[in-house]
Amino acid sequence: MLVHWHHSYSTYQRGSTQVGATACKMAVVNRIYLFSRISITPKILLDPINRVCGGRRFDSTSVSSDGEVSNSSLSTTPIIRRTLACPPEYKRVQQAWVENLNTVEEQKLGLIDLHPDVFGAQPRIDIIHENVEWQTKYRKVRYDHTKTRAEVRGGGRKPWPQKGTGKARHGSIRSPLWRGGGIAHGPRSPQTYFYMLPFYTRVHGLISCLSIKLAQDDLHVVNSLEIPTDDPKYIEDLVENRNWGPSVLLVDEIDIMPRNITAATDSILHINLMPVYGLNVFSMLKHDTLVLTMAAVNRIEEKLLYQLNRPDFMDVTKKFMLNQNG
Amino acid sequence: MSFSGKKGVDKAFAMLRTLPRVCLANVRRNPGTRIKPTRGRAQHGGDKHGAGNKGSGQRQNYMRLGYETGNNPFYLRFTYEPYYKGHHLRREYPPLSLLQLQKMIDTDRLDISQPLDLSVICNTGLYKIDPHHKHFGIQLTDEGANIFKAKVNIEVQWASEPVIAAIERNGGVITTAYFDVHSLWAIINPEGFFKKGEAIPRRMVPPQDAIEYYTNPVNRGYLADPEKISWERLVLAQKYGYQLPVLENDPDYAMLTQRKDPRQIFLGLEPGWVVNLRDRCILKPTDEQLKEFYRS
Repeated sequence: MLVHWHHSYSTYQRGSTQVGATACKMAVVNRIYLFSRISITPKILLDPINRVCGGRRFDSTSVSSDGEVSNSSLSTTPIIRRTLACPPEYKRVQQAWVENLNTVEEQKLGLIDLHPDVFGAQPRIDIIHENVEWQTKYRKVRYDHTKTRAEVRGGGRKPWPQKGTGKARHGSIRSPLWRGGGIAHGPRSPQTYFYMLPFYTRVHGLISCLSIKLAQDDLHVVNSLEIPTDDPKYIEDLVENRNWGPSVLLVDEIDIMPRNITAATDSILHINLMPVYGLNVFSMLKHDTLVLTMAAVNRIEEKLLYQLNRPDFMDVTKKFMLNQNG
Repeated sequence: MSFSGKKGVDKAFAMLRTLPRVCLANVRRNPGTRIKPTRGRAQHGGDKHGAGNKGSGQRQNYMRLGYETGNNPFYLRFTYEPYYKGHHLRREYPPLSLLQLQKMIDTDRLDISQPLDLSVICNTGLYKIDPHHKHFGIQLTDEGANIFKAKVNIEVQWASEPVIAAIERNGGVITTAYFDVHSLWAIINPEGFFKKGEAIPRRMVPPQDAIEYYTNPVNRGYLADPEKISWERLVLAQKYGYQLPVLENDPDYAMLTQRKDPRQIFLGLEPGWVVNLRDRCILKPTDEQLKEFYRS
């Protein structure tokens, strides 16, 4: 029985009872062939022992982390061929199952390769934190406001002579020391918290986040967002059945989603739809599970690999440098 | 899940699999990297905030640079010696080493099946010049000359003898060529120049003090006599003790012998032409006067 490493459930969080259930389910679905709905390369290889990808050969047995590989399931595992751009030379290619959404029960339609520079990069919690902090701050404007001693009404006259009264010397009844006086160093409105995070910190934030989601089994790839009904109950059952956690973020390549999934998720506040251009660190972390369509995976990989490998990257970062002279 | 023997990314992923889900509640910055706001609020909130007590440090009215509170300042103590006289007029050639060039070739930043020039090297994004700073192009330096293995047809703006030897030993060709400032702006960013929709200018002849360098066959100058250059190639081979590969027998002979016209900036494009990137076409002057102007 092949228990693929990012589909063997972590017992820490989701409970050990799931492990057996998932394994049984996979025995069934491993014999199901790939639908032609997959848009990228609909060629199925039924002999996955040695595959060629981007000019390199991988041994598919090496992807199992625990070495629990049995030959019987390997021989029928459908592999979806995906040519990776900028083929990685020294890193191990990440993999994910392609699932369906048109049944409540999970069906594995195939296994795809994911680029390790995007889905298998070093998980940088600090960069993710910087991104989250930036996303919460850059659009924040504070409107709390206090009056200084100059703005509080009155207080122009010296309350009593400097000397001879026996009282402390004061020049104004609106001094910050006085009750009803102005506030020293108080908040002044409007105060903006806008700043820009360096461009590549944002790029690496997305990459770290995607890598973490994949490593923690929280990233799922589906062939499309087509579901048979617009009933919210269907999508709730599906999420419940697949143990995707309460909140799910479904990401498609473009912002025009299929009608049924739009109607079904419309009333559920914790199941949300998002196009690739809106994908961001905060939303990925806010939702328990991230579901990407194949088209979205292609688009995300393409965009992030372009940013990682573009020759004019210095021109992109230049805009965000404080010293604009050099 | 054991991650004792793992390293780097694999170890991080193995740890992540046993840790709770990374979410908004548990991401944090690296310990010790928080920069505190400068103004505290409690007991010491009204203190000096690191500016010290009294004086120019607190008021930030620092003395002018070099002023020594009444002493004869150091910078005025000695007589004037014009080490840097005319520095603001001198041409600079920012260095690019053969090692860097070899690395660009090995990492597929440069295609050596085509002639290399300033625009190709600037387009890698790894070498930059700024004509505002009197940068006049590439100075190819000899660092890594002994491991340089590529056969290239390269045009640079300044090269020393060992560099020329390193290029020619591998069967390559090197030319030193001058670009005036106006041409430099075009050649360092061809796309930006073409987008302006201007006609490609003529390359001007070098200034008086550079004429000698660029007409000298020893420097492989672009204005030197080709006969004399091939003679100097032989002389250099004998001086450095290598067998000069015969260009005529080279399969890439056509590429290696491609040279720009002294008036030309881009290989394959003539002065006076307008490159229209949007319609993907080239507009050539038809007016006789214009043609004459750009030909001269």
